[in-house]
Amino acid sequence: MVITSEQVPQSASESTSTDPGAPKRRKPRQRNRPRNKRNRVEDKEIETVQHSLQMETSIPTVKKLSGQSTHESALIAATDKTREQIMAEREAKKQAKHNKKNQSKTVPTPPTTKIITEVEQTTITTRLTTTTTTTNDRQEQLATTVAAAVPTKTTSVTSTTTLELGENTREKIKAEREAKKAAKQAVKSAKVSGGNVDAAAQKLANLQIQTAGATEAAESEKKKPALSKAERRAIQEAQRAAKAQGKAKKDTTKTLTAGAPGSQAISPPTSTIGSKEIKRDNDSPSKIEGSPVKSVPSKTERDHNVKLFNHLLCTSKDASQFINDPLVHPSMARLGEQYAKRIVVGSNARCIAFLNALRQVVQDFETPAKKEFGRSLDVTVKHHVDHLHKCRPLAVSVSNAYKQFKNQLTQLPVDKPETELKDLLSHFIDTYIENQIGKAAQAISGFLQEKITNGDVLLTFGCSSLIHYICEEAKRRQVAFRVIVVDSRPFCEGQEMLRRLSADGIPCTYVLINAISYVMPEATKVLLGAHALLANGYVMARTGTAQVALVANAHNVPVLVCCETHKFSERFQTDAIVYNELGDPNELVRSDKCCLLNWQTKSRMTPLNLNYDITPPELVSAVVTEVAILPCTSVPVILRIKPEIGY
Amino acid sequence: MREQPLKEVTQLIHAIKVGMVEGSYSITNKTLDIFKYIIMSKSWQNADELMRIVRAQSRIMQAALPQETVTSNIARRILKLTREEFDLLHAKIQHFADDSQASLSLHKLVTQTSESNVSVDYSKPQQGLREALLDHLQEVETELETSSENICVQAEEHIHSSEIILTLGHSRSVENFLKRAIKKRQYLTIIVAECAPSCRGHNLATKLANDKTVDIIVIPDASIFAMMSRVNKVIIGTHSVLANGGLRAACGAYTVALAAKHYSVPVIVLAPMYKLSPLHLCEQDAFNMVGCAEDVIPYDSLPAREAKVYSPMFDYVPPELVTLFISNTGGHAPSYVYRLLTELYHPEDLEI
Repeated sequence: MVITSEQVPQSASESTSTDPGAPKRRKPRQRNRPRNKRNRVEDKEIETVQHSLQMETSIPTVKKLSGQSTHESALIAATDKTREQIMAEREAKKQAKHNKKNQSKTVPTPPTTKIITEVEQTTITTRLTTTTTTTNDRQEQLATTVAAAVPTKTTSVTSTTTLELGENTREKIKAEREAKKAAKQAVKSAKVSGGNVDAAAQKLANLQIQTAGATEAAESEKKKPALSKAERRAIQEAQRAAKAQGKAKKDTTKTLTAGAPGSQAISPPTSTIGSKEIKRDNDSPSKIEGSPVKSVPSKTERDHNVKLFNHLLCTSKDASQFINDPLVHPSMARLGEQYAKRIVVGSNARCIAFLNALRQVVQDFETPAKKEFGRSLDVTVKHHVDHLHKCRPLAVSVSNAYKQFKNQLTQLPVDKPETELKDLLSHFIDTYIENQIGKAAQAISGFLQEKITNGDVLLTFGCSSLIHYICEEAKRRQVAFRVIVVDSRPFCEGQEMLRRLSADGIPCTYVLINAISYVMPEATKVLLGAHALLANGYVMARTGTAQVALVANAHNVPVLVCCETHKFSERFQTDAIVYNELGDPNELVRSDKCCLLNWQTKSRMTPLNLNYDITPPELVSAVVTEVAILPCTSVPVILRIKPEIGY
Repeated sequence: MREQPLKEVTQLIHAIKVGMVEGSYSITNKTLDIFKYIIMSKSWQNADELMRIVRAQSRIMQAALPQETVTSNIARRILKLTREEFDLLHAKIQHFADDSQASLSLHKLVTQTSESNVSVDYSKPQQGLREALLDHLQEVETELETSSENICVQAEEHIHSSEIILTLGHSRSVENFLKRAIKKRQYLTIIVAECAPSCRGHNLATKLANDKTVDIIVIPDASIFAMMSRVNKVIIGTHSVLANGGLRAACGAYTVALAAKHYSVPVIVLAPMYKLSPLHLCEQDAFNMVGCAEDVIPYDSLPAREAKVYSPMFDYVPPELVTLFISNTGGHAPSYVYRLLTELYHPEDLEI
């Protein structure tokens, strides 16, 4: 079934509300809001997505903290209420912001920014809450996330006010509704652009999030004995900042309960003190004791891009950005998230998962009235593929499968009923999986079995399902061979390979990639998996593959790349920089003690986490495909004859 | 007769083994101190006795610390000094006012065979030998102290502005060299390969990153080849330089050098003179050391129980992959290393 846009927000409001009447009445009003204003808010939300991501990363520590605190149960009970209340606050504050814009010439800036900051903080939380409602199974997972994330806010910012706020939410909502009405009129009367105010607000929001993290770190630090003087001072300052923040927040909320839009301006002294404190504390605690929060002002974030890779976007792992799309089928939404979080990795696994999700989409597809089945399905599938691409750039295997599927769509007979067409398509998907992946693996394994003999030492890099399959087959044939698994940080996929191979009872050796020259003399063959084979014969594979091939070449060990033809790509590429995928740079940080921690605060230092590299054909002895064992340079030939093979 | 180690020697060996003394520079310094102490002590009467003591202690250290070649290198230096000083004094007494006697020239090398027939009797007591030796030792000490600085000075000669430099792990000479380069040249980009599992590259990156004018990129070891296509120069440190001009360097150096060769990127190796050792080791097993594998894969993980896990410390880099050595005396090609060795050590001391 396809979730429509109507269903999702309603279920969202239903699940979050304790009072069934109020939110429903509020809903239409939200829609009536001026268009451009809404857009602007959404823009900002996109900006804050980054920070919500950072909040998510800090969750483990938060969980621990909340576990330690005595108020744990109270906080979680307050979660529901605060969610509501935060949404309400957000709206009220938006109005307040617009009011401010009207009065911007008379009112000093600090209070304005303060309010906006809070608006943004609340949007972060609400974003997290809304994610719960889109898909049911996701809800369970995220519920824990939200439960952890909301206390973050409450403990750090509004710890003093949480309980109090929880009680008078209902009155507040009413008051805010009135405030909103009034503010809407005010907005209509005068619309002053507040670009720089927004920017300042953004900055402040960042600062606040950071200090929030810092205070948490400080709290955890408290438990450790023997603190240095500097650390103790940092903790004290952080606590003071938190207190000041809490105070400021209290003031705002108090004025909010009063309800009148005019009184929403906080008294300037409190807020300025608060923000000053924050600014001062901002860097010191995080520097001294590596705080778990990785938030920095977005400006420096831009500085930390590697110049060579400015053209490549670092994939965002924030799933909530993607799964709110009501037009995306739940199976695709789940897949997108699995891609983004790297739960589903590897060309073949990604391709199979994609085709399975695609089958679901086809099954649940309903042709709109007066539309042709094939064409409208094409449009829907395209939308889904775009969605997946947003989550993580598509693997070559996936885009090839998609191409074949599209091709199949255009060839559908016109005169058949829809159910039959669906059956046809799912049959196509089944055969694609069976032929292109299953049978191809068998064929490749068949070719390689002739090459693996007693006493062989195979060297492999990372984790490849195909190589594992080949080794399994060889073991079944009772060949006495052993495998050297070479691995690299930060993905450490070789550990998975090692686990699988040792489960099969194959003797293994495990080294990291820089020790490869130590083990290469033992190896008799190098078997490598591939992500894709490019039309100019270059092999695109997990980063490090090229290095293995290089060292193998220097030691005169034959390098065999195993690759099914469905991974062949028509792209040409000569280096790994033009087109690549950037992983999360934080994965390079080893542990809390690693000196790369907080690399964002260091000037112009960037960890770089490339996903793929390109192996030149001269380093590869042969490519084993299901068609034949070929030299790399024969890829264009295969590409040309490919439509005739298989399906 | 088995020689007993001196108390100082045992202490130093212990300190190095438990990691209290790290880095070739400090090890060299400490070893030099020990030999200075030996020279100052009254336990020897003539040059022959001194040389025997130095040899014995050096052999003990070598046996205890086979991977630290610098200790024997320093011992060889001391032996050479002793010979020189003795010859000099001997020559003075015999009124050989021939200056070329003291300095080793190519001429002397050629004619040495004939000279060595007239073997010098070192067992003769020589007046003023101790003082002369201590004097000369002072020179060696200053050379050692200034070696890092002397290497740094050459940074400008080798690095131009907006260059992309790749380095591996963390070497103190490389750190100082790059710091100097950052000061003198603008828009540098330094790519640091982290050198797993110890990830000492992270330390180097953080130390270099204090400057605003330089871009530091930390990469995992697997991306070396991918990034090499953009690199202008590879600058690495080394553990020791072998007699054929090859390197015994941190694990991963071979891959770096090979990748650099593939892309024709020059590989510059920073090696102060005390790292030159007259050893011919062209095989991994001849010198490698296997470290703790816990960092590679946690011991308690399931696959680790059945697999063999290695964490070697060193890599052998053959001389053909090295473009240039920079030592405190200047730049040298790998093919010139044998010549430096003959200048540095006496041919008879190569085998201690």
